[in-house]
Amino acid sequence: MGRSAATKDAHALFHSLRSAYAATPNNLKIIDLYILFAVATAVIQVAYMAIVGSFPFNSFLSGVLSCVGTAVLAVSLRIQVNKDNKEFKDLPPERAFADFVLCNLVLHLVIINFLG
Amino acid sequence: MAAPKFAFLLLNLISILPLLVSSFSVDRPTDRRILVLLDDLSLKSSHSLFFSSLKSRGFDLDFKLADDPAIAVKRYGQYMYDGLILLSPSTERFGGSLDVEGVLDFVDSGHDLIVAADANASDLIRNIAAECGVDFDEDPSAVVVDHSSYAVSETEGDHTLIAADDFIQSDVILGNKKIEAPVLFKGIGHSLNPANSMVLKALSASPSSYSTNPSSKLSSQPPSLYGTAISLVSVVQARNAARIMISGSLDMFSNRLFRAGVQKSGSLNKYEKSGNEQFITELSKWIFHERGHLKAVNLRHNKVGESEEPSMYRINDDLEFSVEIFEWSGSSWVPHVSKDVQVQFYMMSPYVLKTLSTNGKGLYHTSFKVPDVYGVFQFKVEYQKLGYTSLSLSKQIPVRPFKHNEYERFITTAFPYYGASFSMMAGFFIFSGVYLYNK
Repeated sequence: MGRSAATKDAHALFHSLRSAYAATPNNLKIIDLYILFAVATAVIQVAYMAIVGSFPFNSFLSGVLSCVGTAVLAVSLRIQVNKDNKEFKDLPPERAFADFVLCNLVLHLVIINFLG
Repeated sequence: MAAPKFAFLLLNLISILPLLVSSFSVDRPTDRRILVLLDDLSLKSSHSLFFSSLKSRGFDLDFKLADDPAIAVKRYGQYMYDGLILLSPSTERFGGSLDVEGVLDFVDSGHDLIVAADANASDLIRNIAAECGVDFDEDPSAVVVDHSSYAVSETEGDHTLIAADDFIQSDVILGNKKIEAPVLFKGIGHSLNPANSMVLKALSASPSSYSTNPSSKLSSQPPSLYGTAISLVSVVQARNAARIMISGSLDMFSNRLFRAGVQKSGSLNKYEKSGNEQFITELSKWIFHERGHLKAVNLRHNKVGESEEPSMYRINDDLEFSVEIFEWSGSSWVPHVSKDVQVQFYMMSPYVLKTLSTNGKGLYHTSFKVPDVYGVFQFKVEYQKLGYTSLSLSKQIPVRPFKHNEYERFITTAFPYYGASFSMMAGFFIFSGVYLYNK
């Protein structure tokens, strides 16, 4: 009795989340996909390091931090562009995107330097 | 007027020259001047074979009575002798300025010593021996008795004259000719501390021997010294290459026992001449550094392909190491040939231990790769072989890790990270395009 009620609740929760997510605007969904790509790449690199060891440690850090930095910048872009967010109501989305591009340029410059 | 004066001066100068060449030096390690202290001047004739064999090998013997007040081994801080022979077992005090401390200082400064004790050995001789690592039997009237390994003779029936043939196995110490006949011995025995690694038994008693007073009844307690724990003649090689021989019998050196025939009880072999002369002569050759004295010169190392010694190596470098070892033959340095000289590349523990190969002319060499650890290392050669002086050489050399530009340009194991970084950049471009032009 209790088990089936729990699973029914889980199913209901999952469905409500899915339908709520379907209601988000398309541009936010694109950003979410991009973030997912970055985090997945980071996880793959960490798993690789766990297998072969951390020999060129600087290269490992550079690779992982490029993924993490990309994800962080994408998250901040999503926050600033989201229309439901009261804090950034007055920020033009173009300005947010320009900041995103400049920060990414700096990030990739540093990554290439540290990659060795 | 001037000519005779000049000739006189020249003659004086020339007479100093022999003094200059006759002293012990690092280049010529054989001793030259030996002080012999005797209890009794009749020993000069009763032990003349021993002394004449020493003189025939070029030694300058200076005979003195043990209580002669003119005895002095040191003058103005310099030692006047290179070796000391104490054939004075019953002397309680030496004359002149010599005492136990003086004898020990003599040995500590690298000079050699032969001590012979006897059945009435004084405390002085026992103390000198004890400081050298040899403990004579505490009972002052005890001698070594052996009822199954004694020398068969018509006169002596208490079995105190024993025939010993348990020699130390070393060609360096006893020469490469085997001593066929047993050695006749009559005197006191001593024991060695097993923890002392520098003292060796040159002539050991047989398992059936024991140390006791032959004229008193056997006590109910077992004797404190018995069996092969008794050493009849011991040698000590100190770390500064000083060599000491301690014998429990003065008669062993005498002409009478040198010339005597010997038959060991229980064996049918009768020898015309005892092994005493050969044993004592060969042992004295070793004691006075005519054999078994090594020197190592020219310890060099360099990178493979270069000839200069660098001041620092890098990890994973290939290097070559070489050292030259010579042995003193009594008159000149000859190459020492051995298969077991090893070199260690040492930092707290040896990272590399290699046996050096020799070219037969005294040059030992090897090559190896510097280990993958950086720090300050030492090349260490520690060579300790029975009967030879010990060699302890070391040379320090630092080892550094790779410099930044000594790695390969693109490291293969890092390719996934390179790929990930570039894929992030590509992803950024594609994302911007898709985001901006998305309707």
